[in-house]
Amino acid sequence: MESSGSCKNCRKITLTVDDDTGNLVCSSCGVVQDFENFQAHIGGVTGPTGTFVRVGTAGSGSLYNYKQTKVYEAQKLIEDLIFKLGLSASRYDEVKAMVERITEGEYGQGRWFPIFVGACAYVVMRKDKKTLPIVEVANVVGCDSNEFGRMVYRVVDFLDMKLPEFDIVGSFERAIRCCPSFSGVEEEIIGRMLKQGVFFVQCSMKWYLTTGRRPMPIVAAVLVFVAELNQIRVKIEEVAKELYVAVRTCKKRYKELLERLVKVAQVLPWGKDVTVKNIIMNAPSVIQYMELKASSMYSKRASFDHVGFDLDDLVAECLNKEIKYGYDTCDVEKDLQYFEVENSPILTIGGANELQISHECLAMVYSKLLGELPLVKPLAGTEELDWRKQKREYGIYTCREWWTGKSEMSKKLLLKQIIEKDIGLNANPPSYDRGKLAYQRRREKINAAKSRIERIIHPSKADLGDRKDLFLAQCVHSGKKRKMQVEIDWEDLIIETLLLHQVREEEIEKGYYNALLDLHVFN
Amino acid sequence: MEDVGSDETIPTPTLQNIVSTVNLNCKLDLKAIALRARNSEYNPKRFSAVIMRIREPKTTALIFATGKIVCTGAKTEAQSKLALRKYAKIIEKCGLGGVQFSDFKIQNIVASADLKFPIRLEYLAVAHGAFVSYDPELFPGLIYRMKNPNVVLLIFASGKIVLTGAKLRDDTYKAFKNIYPVLVEFKRKRPPC
Repeated sequence: MESSGSCKNCRKITLTVDDDTGNLVCSSCGVVQDFENFQAHIGGVTGPTGTFVRVGTAGSGSLYNYKQTKVYEAQKLIEDLIFKLGLSASRYDEVKAMVERITEGEYGQGRWFPIFVGACAYVVMRKDKKTLPIVEVANVVGCDSNEFGRMVYRVVDFLDMKLPEFDIVGSFERAIRCCPSFSGVEEEIIGRMLKQGVFFVQCSMKWYLTTGRRPMPIVAAVLVFVAELNQIRVKIEEVAKELYVAVRTCKKRYKELLERLVKVAQVLPWGKDVTVKNIIMNAPSVIQYMELKASSMYSKRASFDHVGFDLDDLVAECLNKEIKYGYDTCDVEKDLQYFEVENSPILTIGGANELQISHECLAMVYSKLLGELPLVKPLAGTEELDWRKQKREYGIYTCREWWTGKSEMSKKLLLKQIIEKDIGLNANPPSYDRGKLAYQRRREKINAAKSRIERIIHPSKADLGDRKDLFLAQCVHSGKKRKMQVEIDWEDLIIETLLLHQVREEEIEKGYYNALLDLHVFN
Repeated sequence: MEDVGSDETIPTPTLQNIVSTVNLNCKLDLKAIALRARNSEYNPKRFSAVIMRIREPKTTALIFATGKIVCTGAKTEAQSKLALRKYAKIIEKCGLGGVQFSDFKIQNIVASADLKFPIRLEYLAVAHGAFVSYDPELFPGLIYRMKNPNVVLLIFASGKIVLTGAKLRDDTYKAFKNIYPVLVEFKRKRPPC
């Protein structure tokens, strides 16, 4: 290619462009010319085609009109949100189709639109029974979960559909896989934690911990609990942050879970000593007991309780028959053979009655067995034969050997099946328990108020009663010393007023003081 | 394990709030009312009505420039009507003439009750899917939209329920009477022996 200029050295117009360097070189004298590589692109019909660049796309002269731009931006936003939520490409199509259907192809702009797209993504996932927590989507689209929930309601209403039930077990499985806190944990441990977690989530369902409650805080609480069981150090604050839930709620759910486990532990021989603080230490025994109960639902004869009660009856019966055992001359070592389950797999009262066992031996065996009860396995199944072997190894148990994971509660079950399972405790909702306590407290206050009124109306009887009944049992339920000094508070005075206005005690018990005052006192 | 729901006597819902409206049939100068009545607040930037409160019956009223008043917080229909009459009197005394008391109407009655037994909301949601909305991720209670009478019930796992949307007291009682046997079905079963 030749240039139109002349050489700065020889003034000839023999300038050519060197293909390799792109410099302008004089083909006559060989001098490289000064830097001038600019080649003007001349427009027109014959000129080279270029890209039309323009700042801003609005207005009549732009390449795209307003609607096209809006649709383009909206689709870009949908794509971006789907990517952030970690959903697949097929979901993008579904969400886009839903957005298009609801907005009648108009899409949208503004702050509401990401929330709307998030709601569509949530509905698409929920419709297919896939887990995507609201809190997570709300966090990605940048709004609070209530605002997001309202949008979900509107989408569901518009589409006139019914969302399937939220899958809390699925969300637990997703959380354990997605939580960065557990990213470094071995796959084997994760697998075990998954089973344990499913077990506890389903126990929580049975114990009303999930009914009417946001599911993710319970998932976080169970995650932390199973992590502790498997000696993985995680902080509840971190897990809560990773699952986008409030730390306080997670801690509350965690406490509720522990409290229920403590209640289960009460059946253990050392149950009285188990508290919320040491339940983690006792968790293996408690879980083993729960697993045992869950799996013994359909084979009651083999259940843990029955083994225990059979032995109780057996010992009581044997201890009463002093005369009979007075003649027994067998030594202790010899007697022990009768308790080898390997030799006598079915231990029943009838079978035991035929044994000739000495008094002392029986007492010894019983006390020994009581201490090791949590390790007793159901007689049904193949593992029953080596249960005695296992209990002898208790001292060298590592923290993981207690978990068999063979209970059905470790598998995902229907709610009906979960509720039918016996896991050693049938709890009521915490709110119900609190309500019941409040009723009791109000009842005590009413009784105390009645006593006070009685003393004023009949002073002659004043000395007969005990002054203690005049005040509410010294605030037993509050458990705080500071409150114990308060004898009569505003609530007592209101109750007194209501009683004096002939309000029924059953009405006062409900605690709607304002309504009652309006109806009976200030009316 | 304690016995739940052994007492089979049906509780009665307690009325908690009654919302009623009345039309005074005249335009009101809200600024004048706000300046003359000490029990009122008016911030047109925030809400375009005067908020007035009285202590007997303890209620709150929203007074609009169109002459319409909404009264909330009363515990009975009679209290609500009495309260509205008092508000009309106060407005009259503020120097606004031509006040009439017309079209008094109860708009909403809210009541609550405690069944004293826990309820498996999940079961109820499945069994009465056509009337029910239950999503614990969004709201802890189960929303039951009863068609006849037209009342909405918020049912909670603790056994407490809120009835709202009725215009007649009897509708509230009827709705509760209808729902009670349904809820008894879904109370927690006794533990297997």
